[in-house]
Amino acid sequence: MTALAEALRDLNEKKVYELVDKMLEQGASPEKIISECNEGMVAVGDLFASNQYFLTELMFSAEIMKEVMQKLEPLMESSGVAERSAGTVVIGTVKNDIHDIGKNIVVSLLRSHGFKVVDLGVDVPAEKFVEAVRETGAKVLGLSALLNSTYPEMKNVVEAITEAGLREQVKIIIGGTICNETVRKFTGADFYANDAVTGVKICKSVYS
Amino acid sequence: MADEIKALFNQRLGRYQAAIALEPTDRIPIAFNTTYFAEKASGYTYQEIMYDPEIWAKVEIEFAKKYPELDTFRTNLQWSPNWDVVDYRLYKVPGRDITPKSLQQFVEAEYMKEDEYRLMIDDPVTFRMERYLPRILGEFKERGSIRSYMAFLKSGMAQGIVGAINRERGARLAAEVGMPQPVMGNFAAPFDFLSDNLRGLNGIMRDMFRQPDNVIEACEALLPDLINRALATADPLKRYPIFVATHKPCFLSPKQFDTFYWPTFKKGVEMLIEAGYTFRVFLEGNWGPHWHHIAELPRGKVLCDIDNEADIFEAKKAFGHQQCITGGIPNEMLILGTPDEVRARVKLLCETVGKDGGWIPHGGGHIPEDTKPENFRALIDAVMEYGRYSDGPPPEPKSNPNIPPGVKLPEPRVVTPWEIKKAEWAIPGDEELIKKNWERLERMAYNWLLSW
Repeated sequence: MTALAEALRDLNEKKVYELVDKMLEQGASPEKIISECNEGMVAVGDLFASNQYFLTELMFSAEIMKEVMQKLEPLMESSGVAERSAGTVVIGTVKNDIHDIGKNIVVSLLRSHGFKVVDLGVDVPAEKFVEAVRETGAKVLGLSALLNSTYPEMKNVVEAITEAGLREQVKIIIGGTICNETVRKFTGADFYANDAVTGVKICKSVYS
Repeated sequence: MADEIKALFNQRLGRYQAAIALEPTDRIPIAFNTTYFAEKASGYTYQEIMYDPEIWAKVEIEFAKKYPELDTFRTNLQWSPNWDVVDYRLYKVPGRDITPKSLQQFVEAEYMKEDEYRLMIDDPVTFRMERYLPRILGEFKERGSIRSYMAFLKSGMAQGIVGAINRERGARLAAEVGMPQPVMGNFAAPFDFLSDNLRGLNGIMRDMFRQPDNVIEACEALLPDLINRALATADPLKRYPIFVATHKPCFLSPKQFDTFYWPTFKKGVEMLIEAGYTFRVFLEGNWGPHWHHIAELPRGKVLCDIDNEADIFEAKKAFGHQQCITGGIPNEMLILGTPDEVRARVKLLCETVGKDGGWIPHGGGHIPEDTKPENFRALIDAVMEYGRYSDGPPPEPKSNPNIPPGVKLPEPRVVTPWEIKKAEWAIPGDEELIKKNWERLERMAYNWLLSW
């Protein structure tokens, strides 16, 4: 593991920025820096999955990655490098639920892993999800919720996607602590995720 | 109160108190903290219940009559006009901002900026009046405007009305159906108060890494005010536990919890236990990495609601010898499952975690609104069948209005202390009469400042 990947894994924020600046000075390409950071992000994900890191640590890794990307993006644009993308994910909190903390964590983690994320916000009606999946051609749709009164609404979105003829194109993940196998079956979704790392892993497997 | 209803009230409260204290009683109590099922089953919308106290009382009384086996329950709502008069931005209100059929929903954000710790710690009144309240109260956006003065005036009146509504509903439940309350009054862990209301999860996450000393100092600075707010809202007879909803521990590593959360939370809870109070604490999310600490608190004083993400059997092992726990029935089983599944689950819990006391059935901190009525019935019937310890009766309830001698509680803070006001008057009469009321209203006003 490189020094940059290690610094990111250890959430050593200052050191990450110092190393990025130093690498840029020495002429390293943004792609190389991103690739080393990705290695660090994967290590953070592993530490989270093995209960050595907790949610706020996972969130902070995405925060550091966001800052690094803000530094690198102008350089990538000016050098004409194509936008990196691991795939497109449409995500939103379902109708009648306005909670966005969980969704936002997943969005920032997906972005820090290179996904293009279409975030529809909160209280999103089924037709909006259908429209976004159709327009973007995304292979993954994430439905977020905190309230257990949203089970029927999540089912409703899955059915609306089916009625629109898009069900074959897209894998649907329901996410949030209220989700489990019983709820997944009830809604007709393909996967459920109780935490952001699981969600990102599913997105990666769909696009691999 | 008719004798029969009074006897019922005493049996229910005695049974509930004994379970919390880990003392023998006749059966496992049915004591739900938050029961959204009661609202949904009433046929009224959340908006109707939250805007009309008559309907609210009717919903609870009819629910108590329909399910007389319940020992206590609560519809965890607010009288919304209290929020409307100041245009409180931290909640989306049913019928006003969201569908009338939805619960109120909390809107978390960074209402306090990352560079405002110093001001908040050193001068909380200025911080709240000048920075925080204008951001979260729409009617206070233009400070000093006539509209803002009227909003404060209406808000003071509204809080008085809220107190009256809650007292009257509680008194009617006791007098008409013999139903006690599961909780009264509120305490918050300083870290939760800081992160829920002021900094938001994103803000506090960054602060723990970038300015940890300020987070610790802020929690210490908030503690005395939160203790006084709890004392002002708790049951003066100390029959009912003080409610605490814990929100952020499930996001924290054990090291973060031990550093930022636990020290001030523990100190506050211990201080109020010493003063004679008990607690009901909702352990939101998975508290598994932290809940061994609960065993450090005095035995039988802290009833803990275990959420669905945590394992009730592990909770029993970790601290069930010290405190009573509730939970164990998955919310999705109540919503999507069958009466047979609920019955089997309650039987299992009665025979294991509830075998020798120390357990109360519950969903994950609440009974979900979409619970099937037949599942709710199955839950109650199963407790009646499998939850008996003896033929009864349950012990008599206890109450104690006195604070034990030697207990030191933090001095309540005020904006204009009596000494300052006194110097502006000559006072030819009895100073004590004036002082007592001045200070009482100052303390109420200070608590108002903290209530947002």
